[in-house]
Amino acid sequence: MSTINTEHTVHRFDDEINEIANLVDKMGGLAVEQLRRGVKALKKNDTARAQKVIVRDRKLNDLDVEVDEKIIHLIAKRAPVAGDLRQIITLGKVVTDLERAGDEARKIARLCVRINESDQHAPSEQILHDIYTMSAYVENMLKMAMDAFSNLAIEKAFSVLQMDKELEAQLDATLRRLSTFVMQDARNIGHFVDIVLGIRALERFGGHAKNIAGHVIFLATANDVRHLDNDEIGSLLNIKEEF
Amino acid sequence: MDTLPAARQKPGLSDLHLQGTVGDVSHPNPRMSCNDVDVYYDNGAVHAIKSITLDIGNQEVLAMIGPSGCGKSTLLRCLNRMNDNIDGCKVSGSIHLDEHDIYDRQRDVVLLRAQVGMVFQKPNPFPKSIYENVAYGPKIHGLAKDKTDLDEIVETSLKRAALWDEVKDRLAQPGTGLSGGQQQRLCIARAIAVSPEVILMDEPCSALDPIATAKVEELIDELRAEYTIAIVTHSMQQAARVSQRTAYFHLGHLVEVNDTDKVFTNPEHHLTEAYITGRFG
Repeated sequence: MSTINTEHTVHRFDDEINEIANLVDKMGGLAVEQLRRGVKALKKNDTARAQKVIVRDRKLNDLDVEVDEKIIHLIAKRAPVAGDLRQIITLGKVVTDLERAGDEARKIARLCVRINESDQHAPSEQILHDIYTMSAYVENMLKMAMDAFSNLAIEKAFSVLQMDKELEAQLDATLRRLSTFVMQDARNIGHFVDIVLGIRALERFGGHAKNIAGHVIFLATANDVRHLDNDEIGSLLNIKEEF
Repeated sequence: MDTLPAARQKPGLSDLHLQGTVGDVSHPNPRMSCNDVDVYYDNGAVHAIKSITLDIGNQEVLAMIGPSGCGKSTLLRCLNRMNDNIDGCKVSGSIHLDEHDIYDRQRDVVLLRAQVGMVFQKPNPFPKSIYENVAYGPKIHGLAKDKTDLDEIVETSLKRAALWDEVKDRLAQPGTGLSGGQQQRLCIARAIAVSPEVILMDEPCSALDPIATAKVEELIDELRAEYTIAIVTHSMQQAARVSQRTAYFHLGHLVEVNDTDKVFTNPEHHLTEAYITGRFG
């Protein structure tokens, strides 16, 4: 994942940075798994499964703290510069996004618990369908972003940025559909707010994947693209937009 | 795509001869300018510096970094003709101070070394009093009209070197009795006393503890307001802390010159990156 191919003179430095990178990789897998399990609990109306997801979020929190500590120690001991500095700063940022992505997955699990413990009408499959579709989409976004991060793959990272644009369109369409359901039959209003919050959580999950993709571009090119639109980023990287 | 796009790949060692130095060797307001400088030792047997062109800007601190034997100290010594004292050393190309060629035959080398002062790796005060260490230069260059004038120069120089408060009550004591950090600041005061335009520093903090180093670095930052400073250092962090531009040397080539902020966050040349991140050197 390093921007530099050759080994560090101090092998311990490479070991330490690889150790952190491996933990971050593990966090990425965990965040994806949490989302998948949260959505599965929702599909199966399985409160026990959802509770497990909620408890398991602590693992991500613990890893977040562990990685931050290791990063602080590495900066204090090694005073990294150039590509090493960008790498360590990027690792810190990716960790924050992964921890927050985990929080959004936990929200989906909480949605399941609220629906199952409530006296209200359970939302119809038709309404939940959008959540399933969107969760698959954002799960793929995070997988791609983490893959781009591991391989320093700029084009893949840029694809994730483009997917985020599509995600925004999906969010608008989903909210419109939800409003239509409510207008068609007022009984659908039960859990309307919870569903909207669930969709919002998924959109944020995708947003964290997008942030990670931006960090990858920073790591590889030293360009901070956080506040640029995709046209600007595309021309900066000499990549044409696909959408 | 697992690699950087071709446009973002950094040049390698094999490109050195083809493309010369990356970054900007010029400065909008140069104080010293090296143009196509080559230095040979042992009557041409060793080619220590290879076609280096580089400006050192007015009121800037230029850090010169690179592995041992890369030529950075050799170039530094060329800037006040210290290499004249080495048998078999030949310098070609031109080096200008304020548009005057310092290698001109008519040039008074003693005067040049007052204009371009030098601070060495190991503090080397004269075996004389603190006062005499600072007063010696102004005396031989006739910079003081009388004793009062000389006293003022000594006091001002010691104040600029951030040493006055520590030594004002013991000016008659030997300079060699000071601590290492104080001795180095005394040497800086000695260089300042002859009103130089440029100060060259060859690893000035390598023999100092962290507090003494911090004091010298603070001093370098203050001196920048009035002088041009070129510093050779093996400490990457020091180069990053004290300089505005950084020049990276490798095997006698000037590989890269860029703003220090850029060099230490996103250097253009992969050799610079490999060196400053500790991949070789």
